[in-house]
Amino acid sequence: MSLPRDPDHDLDRLLADDGGDLAALYRRLPKAEPPRRLDRSVIGAAARAVHGHTPRRQRWLVGVGSAAGVVLAAGIAWHVGQDAVRRESQGDMSAQGVPTTPSHNRNYVPVQPLGEPTPRHTAAPPAAQDAAVVAPATAPAPPPPAAAKPAPRKAEAHEKERARAPIAQPSAPPPAAAPPAAAPMPAREAFPAEQQRQEAEAAGASQAGGADAAGVISNERTDAKSLRMRAAPAPPSSSVELRRDMQLAPDDWLAHVRQLLRQGRRQQAIESLRLFHSAHPRYPLPRELSALLD
Amino acid sequence: MLAYAGGDLLAFETLYRRHRGTLYRFLLRSLRHRADADELFQETWSRLIAARERYRPDAKFTTWLLQIAHNLVVDRFRRQRPQASPEETETVLRNLDAPDSEQPERALSEFEQRRRLQLALEELPEEQRVAFLLRVEGGLGLEEIGEITGAGRETVKSRLRYALARIRARFDP
Repeated sequence: MSLPRDPDHDLDRLLADDGGDLAALYRRLPKAEPPRRLDRSVIGAAARAVHGHTPRRQRWLVGVGSAAGVVLAAGIAWHVGQDAVRRESQGDMSAQGVPTTPSHNRNYVPVQPLGEPTPRHTAAPPAAQDAAVVAPATAPAPPPPAAAKPAPRKAEAHEKERARAPIAQPSAPPPAAAPPAAAPMPAREAFPAEQQRQEAEAAGASQAGGADAAGVISNERTDAKSLRMRAAPAPPSSSVELRRDMQLAPDDWLAHVRQLLRQGRRQQAIESLRLFHSAHPRYPLPRELSALLD
Repeated sequence: MLAYAGGDLLAFETLYRRHRGTLYRFLLRSLRHRADADELFQETWSRLIAARERYRPDAKFTTWLLQIAHNLVVDRFRRQRPQASPEETETVLRNLDAPDSEQPERALSEFEQRRRLQLALEELPEEQRVAFLLRVEGGLGLEEIGEITGAGRETVKSRLRYALARIRARFDP
């Protein structure tokens, strides 16, 4: 191979399209190629770079979607639980003729009224037994669907009778009627705001379920349905306290009613007394207290 | 490249297949060590991938690719001085595969010519070798070589001219 020695001539040929004889010789050099492992590595890196964005977004969406699903499921479960408690509570109330309010405070186990027969749910089917764990022991052992049905006829008649009687006064006594400022505030009054919040939530849950919260609000309706609804009084100012009252012995309960009266909490005293009378219908009431029921 | 920046992996594979040999040979003949060439080959593509969204089609893709590679080569040169000895270079070049279908006599002649060219390339100063490789391997013009190496047109011409003279000296001692 003879190559010219003129550098300028070589440069012109090198810069020509074909690159000249030196470029031709260079092209005959071994064509080294990258090994396949490098190909795989580079293509993999390129794929990861391209797909790195989308999956990140997808992971984010999956996370948000999962969180939303959990929140939704929790909300549904909460509503279902509230509805079940409310219905069980209503069934219990109807069976006993005890006006009570739905409460989601499960820390208080409903007590069996004195003088009532022992629980009859021992022969109930398992599903009813499960329901009875939440429902009061005095609730009849209905087949599972019956748990949501209205109360038995006897209890309904009792409710109607009670509905004819004046029910809870529409408005609570003004604050002026509250216990004197000098009087020590009972411990249970230390959380009225929390109670009101719970009651508001309970009322909201009832409204969401299309239940008898409407009857609580509209006391003016007189049809049978509303009468039954009105048998369940308006949410008392302290449903939790009423629950507590139910755990008292009859004498202690009446003493507590008198204490409420002394404290000027007449409305709550009347509600507690009504609940007492429903729980213990044969228990003789003192005159001053029985007058409150008229 | 724009298609790949938009998420088209197939476009990247096409681009890669088209330029992988050029880039690899440029690196191998610039660095003279396969391990270094392998490493910088991957590094070049990694940087290109990372910068895919900054690519603008006003420059030739080959120019952009070789500019990334050249920058890496320059960095490597700065770290690796002194360079490999001619004996090491000879060893590396002997390890490079030769084409198979060659007649023995002609192969000997071709082999000798290639060997001399390779030795001449190895002995070139870095700047001259890079300029020559960018021209014959990358097919770039004076302006593009100047753009990559940061030199002016006349400087590139001068480097190429000196490179050619040294190569000629290998063939006509």
